[in-house]
Amino acid sequence: MGSRSSGWRLFARTVMARAYPRLVMNVREKWWLVFDIVLPLVGVCAYVFVYRANGAHPDLIGFVILGGAMSAYWMNVLWAMGNQLFWEKETGNLALYIMAPNSMMAILLGMALGGMATTTLRAASILAIGSLMFGVRFDVSNAAMLFVVFALALVALYGMGMMFASMFLLFGREGWHLVSLAQEPVFLLSGTFFPVRNFNFWVAAGASIIPLTLALDAIRQLTSSSGAALGFLDVGTEVAVLAGLSVVFLIAARFLLAQLERLAIAEGRLTESRA
Amino acid sequence: MQALAIETARLGRIYKPRRNERHDTKERVALSDVSLAVPRGELFGLLGPNGAGKTTLIKILTTLLAPSSGWAAVEGYDVHREPQFVRPCINMVSGGEASGYGLLTVRENLWMFAQFYGLSSSDANRRIAELLEIVKMSDRINTKSSQLSTGLRQKMNIARGFLTDPNVLFLDEPTLGLDVEASRDARNYIRRWVKEQATRTVLLTTHYMVEAEELCDRVAIINGGRVLACDTPQNLKRRLQREAIFHLEAAPLGAGDVAAIAALPGVSKASHQATGFGSSVELMLQEERVLGPVIGLLESRQIGLRTLTKREPTLEDVFVELVGRSMEEVEHG
Amino acid sequence: MWTSLKTATWLGWQIESNWASPSLFALYSIVKPLTSAAILVVMFGMITQGNFASTAFSYLYVGNAFYMYVGAVMAGMAQAVVDDRERFRTLKSMYVAPVHIPMYLMGRGVARFLTTSLSVAITLAFGVLFLQLQLSLGDVRWGLLLAALVAGVALLAMMGLTLASIVLVIAHNSWLVGEAVAAALYLFCGAVFPLEVLPWWLRPVGYLMPVTYWLELVRRALVGRVADAYPTLAGVGDLQLLVLVAILTLVFAVVAAATFRRCDHLARERGLIDRTTNY
Repeated sequence: MGSRSSGWRLFARTVMARAYPRLVMNVREKWWLVFDIVLPLVGVCAYVFVYRANGAHPDLIGFVILGGAMSAYWMNVLWAMGNQLFWEKETGNLALYIMAPNSMMAILLGMALGGMATTTLRAASILAIGSLMFGVRFDVSNAAMLFVVFALALVALYGMGMMFASMFLLFGREGWHLVSLAQEPVFLLSGTFFPVRNFNFWVAAGASIIPLTLALDAIRQLTSSSGAALGFLDVGTEVAVLAGLSVVFLIAARFLLAQLERLAIAEGRLTESRA
Repeated sequence: MQALAIETARLGRIYKPRRNERHDTKERVALSDVSLAVPRGELFGLLGPNGAGKTTLIKILTTLLAPSSGWAAVEGYDVHREPQFVRPCINMVSGGEASGYGLLTVRENLWMFAQFYGLSSSDANRRIAELLEIVKMSDRINTKSSQLSTGLRQKMNIARGFLTDPNVLFLDEPTLGLDVEASRDARNYIRRWVKEQATRTVLLTTHYMVEAEELCDRVAIINGGRVLACDTPQNLKRRLQREAIFHLEAAPLGAGDVAAIAALPGVSKASHQATGFGSSVELMLQEERVLGPVIGLLESRQIGLRTLTKREPTLEDVFVELVGRSMEEVEHG
Repeated sequence: MWTSLKTATWLGWQIESNWASPSLFALYSIVKPLTSAAILVVMFGMITQGNFASTAFSYLYVGNAFYMYVGAVMAGMAQAVVDDRERFRTLKSMYVAPVHIPMYLMGRGVARFLTTSLSVAITLAFGVLFLQLQLSLGDVRWGLLLAALVAGVALLAMMGLTLASIVLVIAHNSWLVGEAVAAALYLFCGAVFPLEVLPWWLRPVGYLMPVTYWLELVRRALVGRVADAYPTLAGVGDLQLLVLVAILTLVFAVVAAATFRRCDHLARERGLIDRTTNY
């Protein structure tokens, strides 16, 4: 047998290998186009009409569309990483992943990247079709900064996702429900469909630990004329916080994955099924 | 250089009920005081009934479960404290596992698992082709694994285990779900694979006596979480060599007749089974000359003897001698 | 069939209610529906400067609360297929047993309806206590509410069965099939805004959905004058609404039966009953 990869090469191989099933199956099974793209787009439209029905400022419609687009990434983090790990335990794959000499972070990153194609297509569809349907115009004031915000948001979000995923090593059946529980509170607190500035300062500040909060706020400020007026903090501060969150979450994820794997091994939870 | 592939010392594992479990779930001792030493190059068997602790032991050795007491090492590395060094050297195949992804083909599933061990794609694909040829699944290489039967799925699992050419391979009931021919082929390959390189070791768990006798260099008999005996199959059976085992077919025997036979001096065990045409009795006698009084008893009760054969002891007999009941009786409680 | 329905309802209740300690279950039953409602509350409050005493708010709040049933039942039945097929691996055993599969799936939906009732009640109570929701127990038309709830179980079960039938033949590549469908229907059912807000070419979809009439019935039973505030179905009497819901439920029952028949046949022909497809 030839030589084997280790270190970063093994990490990269593992990421690609775990992303592979997602990428391939998006081609083989196409129903996700309906359930993950078309229907969520329709769902976002409902929130747009809530604003329209009550005479809201047109810029808020843009906010809803941006929120709907970015929420796709949060959903991917919750379901494609967190809950997926629980499912892997149920099917017996988790034991094989742990037993192999790869890194769980690589497995999780592979899951996330594999789902990224679907997620990005969903986000882009909501953005493009939503803006066309409702006549929303996004005036990008600083494209480079917008890219930085988006990139940092993704790193921080997925770092947070890895942290959550580690907790799934310990969960039983409550895992699915806890993931489901994390959806609406995050949409509420992060201001997915409204400016987070509507909350008092301390609530909004506390909600800023969710990367989606400041990411959405910064993106809205950079793409809308009333964004700055409705923004929570200035964009520079928000970028700095996002950068800090990215680092903290990635380090915490690495630590938690190791600790909780040890705990799961001690309590015999890695291979239990249907508990 | 470390000569032992697997070593355990007073290994124990207790499953404790969790806070949210029902109050009537008690603590369960899955393993107790297990000490084993498996040298490199050995095909070591772990034989015991369902619930004996075989899978628990394998989970500990494959770093999936922490021991409650004692320690264990694989390839010289502590499985609990140094799992990162153990994992590159091992692989595991369980009977009836449903790993992989149903919508991927056999090749894709195996390729994916090969990547987790750092194999290059070219090496992985070459090994996949070789192994599928060995398990006679080459024609199914592009079949989605959700379309495989149970037996074919298990063959794919077996291929996955050998794919990474581990130093230590753990096989937990690997022939579960395989037909007779496939089981035989699997056993032949396992034996050949171990003997090909002195650095390869296999720990096989099974509750099939034939599998343990046929394959294993040494066998540990385990029941209730404890290792009751550990030796080569021949030596284990030699423990019973001083005893004589006979099988007789006779006219129908009543409960009183069987009890009378069992009560004869020198009769260690007499187990009776009614057949369509009479009775079948397994006799374990302390010495051969005890057979005379048994035949005499049958004659005095005018019970016709149809056939009488002496048979060699099997590992099942060893188990019965150690535990006092057959494996089937233990499993049925 | 009755045994299948009863057993499945019991099973669904067991699965939905005993996955956690009572305190965690209570937290889930409170937090999830309230935060979902809170999103709309914040949106509405922002636009109207907190005018929660308005009929528009009551319309939106009650509609959203009862719409939880739609998501729960559809998600419950769709997820039952996925869980039984791929996680518990019991779907094939159900097929082999003398179980009426559609009734079995509907039983799982009924169980979700029952467990969701707690969330709906909590949401309404919160609205009354803290948000000036115009709901007074003395003004509730209990008979109409009961009739609406019974009709609701039936119609949602039919919609859920249609979706669950489709899930039989598709891969498990979305975690939230039921929720996605419910989120899409949210647009068309007048749950949180009257149908007049929709473009004219989308309104017919709303008029064809039985949930539209069902929500109107519920509003009339709970907060009568709020329902009067929007003219969409003002010309339709209570009995007419009930009949409309019944007729459309029957139509959906035919659709559900046909869909199940077709998908069940396809699933068995292609060997999909016991396949695992998660990735």
